[in-house]
Amino acid sequence: MSASTLLQKFGWRRLSRLEIVQLVSLTIIAIVVVSPLIILVVASLKPDRFAILADMGSMRAFWVDDPTLNNYREILSFDGALPFGRYLVNSVFILLTTVTGGLLINSMAAFVLAWGQMRGRAVILSVLIALYIIPQESIVMPLLVLVNKLGMSDGFSAQILPWMASPIYIFLFYQFFKQVPKDIVEAARMDGASLFRIYWSIFVPLSLPVMATVTILLGIDMWNQYLWPMLVTQSDYARPISVAIAGFFGQDTVFWNTAMAASVLMMVPVLVFYLFFQKWFMNSFAGAVKG
Amino acid sequence: MSEMALPTTDKRTKLRIANREFRQELGMLMPALVLLAIFLVVPFLLSFWFSLTNERLVPRPVPASFIGLQNFQRVLSDPSFWNSLWNVIRFTLMVLPIQCGFALLTAVLINQKLPFRNLFRSLLFLPAISSMVIVCVIWSTLYQFPTGPLNSLLQGLTFGLAGPVDWLGDSAWSMPALVLLSAWQAYGFQMIVYLAGLQNISPELYDAAKIDGANAWQRFWHITMPGLKQTHVFVILITTIQAFKLFTQVNILTQGGPDGRTDTVVHYMIHSGFVEQKVGYASAVSIILFVIVLAVSLVQRRLMRDAS
Repeated sequence: MSASTLLQKFGWRRLSRLEIVQLVSLTIIAIVVVSPLIILVVASLKPDRFAILADMGSMRAFWVDDPTLNNYREILSFDGALPFGRYLVNSVFILLTTVTGGLLINSMAAFVLAWGQMRGRAVILSVLIALYIIPQESIVMPLLVLVNKLGMSDGFSAQILPWMASPIYIFLFYQFFKQVPKDIVEAARMDGASLFRIYWSIFVPLSLPVMATVTILLGIDMWNQYLWPMLVTQSDYARPISVAIAGFFGQDTVFWNTAMAASVLMMVPVLVFYLFFQKWFMNSFAGAVKG
Repeated sequence: MSEMALPTTDKRTKLRIANREFRQELGMLMPALVLLAIFLVVPFLLSFWFSLTNERLVPRPVPASFIGLQNFQRVLSDPSFWNSLWNVIRFTLMVLPIQCGFALLTAVLINQKLPFRNLFRSLLFLPAISSMVIVCVIWSTLYQFPTGPLNSLLQGLTFGLAGPVDWLGDSAWSMPALVLLSAWQAYGFQMIVYLAGLQNISPELYDAAKIDGANAWQRFWHITMPGLKQTHVFVILITTIQAFKLFTQVNILTQGGPDGRTDTVVHYMIHSGFVEQKVGYASAVSIILFVIVLAVSLVQRRLMRDAS
C-alpha cells in the first residue's frame, strides 16, 4: 500500500497544490503563535532566573534539561512572601461567586422583562441597552470613591458585587427567553404555576446554552480582570492572582522563575476548561457578537 | 358559567393574585436593577458631578467644592493629555491593520476544509484566553535586551547588522512592541468573528466562480471581501474601542514611558485619579473618554446600517 492510499484510509484526500500551501502556512503560523506559551511553560520548569535569561536567546528556550518544580514549590503557599496559593483561591472564589450570582440575577431579570406582566418593562429594557455603552474604564474612579465610602475597599465584596449584574448578559438571556413559544408560558400559567415556578422549572433548564455562554464570558472576564482589583486591593487578603503577578514587575530584579510559574498557575484552570468546552468557548465569543 | 357566581370575590381574588404576581416580578427584577443602579448608574452620574468639583480620593478636612468647568479646562490645556490621546490614536492605527489582517488571514485558512482544522483553530485561539498579565510576563522576556529571542532572531536574520533593540525601553520601538504583543493576545476574538462571517457566505458563490475560472485570489477579492463588509465594520469598531481603553500592558510594562511615548488616556486618568488622588480631574478625563467611545460607536452604527 502506498503512503497516499494509507493516508486516504485515515480520512485524507489528495490535497491540491493550493491546499498544501495553505496547510504549510497554517502550520507555520500555529507554531509561531503558540511558541510564546511553550516558552512560558518550559521556563517555569528551569532552576532559576539566570538559567531562564541565559537560554532565552537560543533554541534552548524550548528545552529544559532537568525540569524542576522548585519554582512552583516556592510560590504555592498561603503565607510568606509569595502566597500564590492564597491569590489563586481568592481568584477562584471571586469568579465562582460572581458567576453563580450573575447567572441567577441576570436570568431572573431577563425573564421578567421577557414574560412578566408589570408595566414599564420596555422602558427598563431600553435603558439597560443604553447602559451597555458605558465602558468600565470610565466609571472606575467614582466607583472607587463610592466603594471606599461604603467601607467595602480591600475586600471581596468590592470585587464581586459591581460585576454580577450586567446589561449585556441580561440582554443575552432576554433574547433567548423571547424565542420560547408563548403557548408554553400560557399553558403553565393556566395550570396555576407562579411566575418564579415557570422560570425555575421551565426556563432555567431550557436556557443551559445561554447559561454556558454567560459562564464562559463572565468567567474569562472575571479571571482576567486587572484594572479594578488593582485599584481596590491593598493587602494580600483579597488580592487576585492577576494583580499579584503584575507585582513581579516594577521591582529592581524581576524573578522570572517564580513569575513564570505563577503565570502557568493562572493559566492552567482556564486551559483545563478550554480543553473540555472548546466548542462552547468559540460559540460564546461568536454568539456575543450577534447579541 | 363560573363568572356568574360571586363576581365580587372573584374580582378580589384576581386582584390578590395580580398583586402577588407583581410582587414576585419585582422580587425577581430588583436584585439586578439595584446592583446596576448602585454600581453602574450612580458612579456614572457621580463622574459628572465629580468632574465639576475638586474631589480627592482620600477626603480632606475641607469638603470638596464646586469649581465649574476648571477640570475640563485643565485637562484640555495639558500637553500630557493630548500626548496620551495621540498615543492611543497611534496605537489604534498600528494595531488595526495588524490585528484585523492577521485575524482575517487565519480565519480564511481555518475555514478551508483542511486536515486538522479543528486542532489549528483551538491552537490559534489560545492567546485570546490568556490573561494580559500573563502575556506581559511572556513578552517582556521575549523583548529582553540585549539577549532576548526577538533580538537573536533579528540579529540572526540580518547577520548581525541590525539590533539589538531595547524594544520596550526605546522611545521609537516601545509603542510598536506594545502593538505586537496586544495583537497577539487579542486577534483570536476577531478571528472567530471573521470565521462566523465567512460561514455566512454561500458556498455556491465560490462554486460558480470556480466554474467561471476565477482563481483563489480573485475569489477572495470578489466574493470573500464584499461578503464580509458588515463583519469588517464590526471588527474595526470593537478593535478601535479596545484600543482606546489600552491600559494593562502600559501599566505593567512601560508605565507610559519612555518619555511618555506609551502613555494612554486610561493610564493618564488612573495616574491623575489614583496616584495623584485628583478624582475630580480624573472624572473629567473619564467623561472625555466616554464621549470618544460613544462617538466611535455611533459612527459604527451608521456604517453598519449603510453596509447592510
